[in-house]
Amino acid sequence: MTISPDQILLWQWGPLHVNATLAFTWLIMALLTLGCWLVTRRLSTGPEMSRWQNLLEVLVTGLREQIREVSRQEPGPYLPFVGTLFVFIAASNLLSVLPFYLPPTGSLSTTTALALCTLIAVPLFGILHQGPLGYLRHYVQPTPLMLPFNLIGELSRTVALAVRLYGNIMSGTVIVGILVSLTPLLFPIVMQLLGLLTGMIQAYIFAVLAMVYIASASAERRD
Amino acid sequence: MQIDWLTVAAQILNFLILVYLLKRFLYKPVTAAMAQREERIAQRLRESREREEAAEHEREHLHERLQRLEARREAILDQAREEAEAEHRRLLEQAREEVEQRREHWHEQLRQERRQFLEDLRRHTTEGFQALTRRALRDLADDTLEDSMIRTLIRQLPELEQDTLGDLRTTDRPIEITTSFTLTDAQRQTIEGAVQRHLGGAAELEYRQSPELLCGIELGCGSRRLGWTLADYLDRFEDRLGAALDADHAVAEHAAAD
Repeated sequence: MTISPDQILLWQWGPLHVNATLAFTWLIMALLTLGCWLVTRRLSTGPEMSRWQNLLEVLVTGLREQIREVSRQEPGPYLPFVGTLFVFIAASNLLSVLPFYLPPTGSLSTTTALALCTLIAVPLFGILHQGPLGYLRHYVQPTPLMLPFNLIGELSRTVALAVRLYGNIMSGTVIVGILVSLTPLLFPIVMQLLGLLTGMIQAYIFAVLAMVYIASASAERRD
Repeated sequence: MQIDWLTVAAQILNFLILVYLLKRFLYKPVTAAMAQREERIAQRLRESREREEAAEHEREHLHERLQRLEARREAILDQAREEAEAEHRRLLEQAREEVEQRREHWHEQLRQERRQFLEDLRRHTTEGFQALTRRALRDLADDTLEDSMIRTLIRQLPELEQDTLGDLRTTDRPIEITTSFTLTDAQRQTIEGAVQRHLGGAAELEYRQSPELLCGIELGCGSRRLGWTLADYLDRFEDRLGAALDADHAVAEHAAAD
């Protein structure tokens, strides 16, 4: 039984290879970019607009509101990173209703990549807001003795981010795979519907947690 | 649970590319469009607020203008009322003066008519009386009016008081005999005889004829007068008639005033 799409190799040339994870990621990227380009090339600034533009505006407004609520800051600088996390994970999970599709988020490589991105983004935004010293100071607070624990906390939450998303999505795929072999008719469909819900919730959780980490790193100055 | 680090690296790259693509094709244009829309809505709201303020300003301006017009209308009406009142008073005064003038004129006319009437009455009465008396005397006593008047004068002579008689005797002025008719010689002699008899001596008589007496004979010396004239009767009659007419006139005016 194939657990991870990483194991499905589509093309290999020496050490380089293209697996299903990368292929489906490119598919998602192409779909998102194409869809956004199609909708945003003729944007209306008046009260009349297309339903697709309306959908995108609702999405962007919702993201901005969530970021503003969580970070208590202007969402502008965080929107591309956090928004893309949510959009990519949500699209990746929603497409799992398609046959022969394996969500890239079911690959630990993908979730690790996203978690690493978050791991790097947190100090980047923190330094951007507070300067290098201002950011690094919070590792030795409340006392320098806490430095190892702070570092461990930083790493462990990144690992938790990656494993949480991977586990949820992978488990959904695994459960459906097992159920298809046991009760091939109705039950897998119900589980797939449940998977859609879980996928959306995981996308939300991942994005919000990333935002919380970034906000906690960049909110020191306000305090 | 395996991690393919090549895939991880590729996915990090993919994610960064996706971040750029979505920023380029999703967040930036959509945020810009929403900001632009908000700006347009704000602009419209500003414009509508400005229009509302302008309308309010215009409304206040019109309201003030209306009030000014109303005040002006009131002023014009007041002025017109005052002018009408003044004109009314003037016309009333004019009418009163006109009525007064007409009444004055009417009174004057009335007085003239009364005068004329009294004169006519006097003339007609005199003429009628003369004719009537002449005829009566001729029919009854075979006498003339003139002779009767002379006899009346002679009869009155003894009634003169002694003082008057004394004055007449001592005066050197002639005694005037005024008549309304021409005295015949016989009549003159009768008069002279009677006067001399009463005054006891020769008296100088001077005869004069005056239409003012109407009908009569009068003996006069200085301010003293004696005799009989129809003018005396008529004067008294005229006085009484005048008094009666005045009384009637007063009653009529009183009734008109009520």
